[in-house]
Amino acid sequence: MGQYFLGVDIGSLTTKVVLVNTGSEMVARATGRSGYSGRTVAERLVTELLRERGMNKNEIAATVATGYGRVTFPADREVSEITCQARGIAHLFGDARTVIDIGGQDSKVIRLLPGGKVIDFAMNDKCAAGTGRFLEVMAQALELRVEDLGELAAVARKHCNISSFCTVFAESEVISHVSAGAPKADIVAGVCDAVAARVATMTSRTGLEPEVVFTGGVARNSGVVNALAKQLGCPLQVPGEPEITAALGAALFARGIIGD
Amino acid sequence: MATKRRYLPLASTRHLEKMMTKYYALSRYHRLWGKPLKRPLAWITSGAPVELLRAFNIHPVYPENYGAICGTRRVSTDLCQVAEAAGYSQDLCSYARSHIGSILRPDLAPMGGLPKPPDMLVCCTNICGTVLKWYEALARIFNVPLLVLDTPFLPGDLTAHARQYVLEQLKEMVTALERLTGRPLNRDELNRQLARSSETIRLWKEIRQLCRATPSPLNAPDLFIHMAPIVTLRGTRQAVDYYRRLKDEVKQRVQQGQGAVEGEKIRLVWDNIAIWYQIFGFFKMFSQQGACFVTDTYSGGWVMELSPGDPLESMAATYTEIFLNRSPEFRARQMIELIQDYKADGFVMHSNRSCKPYSLVQEVIRRRVMQQTGVPGLVVEADMTDQRVYAEEPIRNRVQAFLETVGGL
Ligand code: SF4
Repeated sequence: MGQYFLGVDIGSLTTKVVLVNTGSEMVARATGRSGYSGRTVAERLVTELLRERGMNKNEIAATVATGYGRVTFPADREVSEITCQARGIAHLFGDARTVIDIGGQDSKVIRLLPGGKVIDFAMNDKCAAGTGRFLEVMAQALELRVEDLGELAAVARKHCNISSFCTVFAESEVISHVSAGAPKADIVAGVCDAVAARVATMTSRTGLEPEVVFTGGVARNSGVVNALAKQLGCPLQVPGEPEITAALGAALFARGIIGD
Repeated sequence: MATKRRYLPLASTRHLEKMMTKYYALSRYHRLWGKPLKRPLAWITSGAPVELLRAFNIHPVYPENYGAICGTRRVSTDLCQVAEAAGYSQDLCSYARSHIGSILRPDLAPMGGLPKPPDMLVCCTNICGTVLKWYEALARIFNVPLLVLDTPFLPGDLTAHARQYVLEQLKEMVTALERLTGRPLNRDELNRQLARSSETIRLWKEIRQLCRATPSPLNAPDLFIHMAPIVTLRGTRQAVDYYRRLKDEVKQRVQQGQGAVEGEKIRLVWDNIAIWYQIFGFFKMFSQQGACFVTDTYSGGWVMELSPGDPLESMAATYTEIFLNRSPEFRARQMIELIQDYKADGFVMHSNRSCKPYSLVQEVIRRRVMQQTGVPGLVVEADMTDQRVYAEEPIRNRVQAFLETVGGL
């Protein structure tokens, strides 16, 4: 019988895998670009992870898959990333009552009870506004790396206004700011504000109760973290590795399949 | 885990199909019998006082019901595009766009479109303001008389003043119909029509109430399919006979403890118009997990019991008081009552891009209902017939998360 539990989160942009032990401690994790086949990437990540630790497949007692590619991955069970996210965050932050998650093509707000039971959630609808993809497009238009947006936003003197909801139109707004001679930092600050504004609106549907935890790849972007904290008027907790929390939740569910 | 669950079909469906086919075939050949039988053709909105038209022996057809047919046959998107190319906005209700598209391109339309030209158009604003503009456009296209019944929105209860306002218009409508048909209103006939309507409505109400049973004998797709006669044939003998038959079948299911969804585990309430092009696919996501939609606000919209009293006064009140014409408080209360009466574990609201009056206030209602009942509510963004608005994966994702929330893991 295996002693480890695997959570696989195949997202639209990145794939994450997390391994926990019987004590629900995270023992390993890995991430990679989902690319064309998230399933293949996930399988590669798992193989590498096992090899690095000198483990073999049989040591994995159960697997739970989540994220957009969840149905493609052979797992014992698939669970939506909302439920997984709540579980992962409740594990890391016992006091968390609201999770704001901004991933590649989704942003969501989850309200939860202690222990991670979801009581309500809201998601962006059919639109990349307020997601990681939105930031990527804007970074590209500015010839910047997404990783550098946060630092740049911090030195903005004033924030440019990006008002279009549509990502494509917002991109042309960015381009017109560029041609009007606005400094890149100011434009980046405006882009971060725009993402934050879209997500902040969603919290009015679910309500916002502290502690508020901010997860997903975008939570690494300090520009968005600051903009969001300011707009919500409350501090945000950010996990050390904000993109893997749903995968962690999935691994914990896998752990639950076997029972305590 | 997703297990395959059997969905129980209704034997009455065969009769329903026969009856609806006959109604549409009859309508289609109206030009052959309408004139000789002195039965003019009216295009009419779903919330209009059809009993009055039937009393004048007018044959009504429903562009909205036709829109739903276009939706289930998945041709609405093409027809909408035809209307959009002609200059109608993509933000216009997709029933209106499909219908206008079917007039412009009958070759793309089921049954070649509705029989045309209509002899008159009858529009009641109790469901939305869209129908007014839609019917005005139709009146321009065909150059035929348009009769409008304007029902003021009710922020609270029906006032005497509002009732009087609608009553006056009904009287004018009678005069107009007398002029158009060349015969006086037959009050006895109107009373007969109203009595049969009441009977149809009563049966529909009883059928719906049978779904309070656990397991529920019907699921939302059943309600959506079997509501066709209450919309289009309300007040006819056939409709009464049909609902008697359906009621017997549903009652039998209850007596035998048969549920529409095998192994019913979760009971839900549906809000808003069906997603016609996904009428089975969408609900399968739920039924596979043992979730049954035991009631809804949409097909329940036709449970509008006719107020007693003078026929015109009764119609004035009944048609003004329909739920789409009422405040968010009224609609929240309605939802709360449904959840309590049907012992529901949650509710799903279709935020329908087409239907603004139905959808705009849903978020307010959702919060209030959740607060007061403690059951979770999900909002799904889609459109009743325009498939371009339906995003399969995000919807599947939300539904799964919602069912995990309601049912637990
Ligand atoms: S807007 Fe709504 S109520 Fe009005 S016709 Fe369209 S679907 Fe019906």
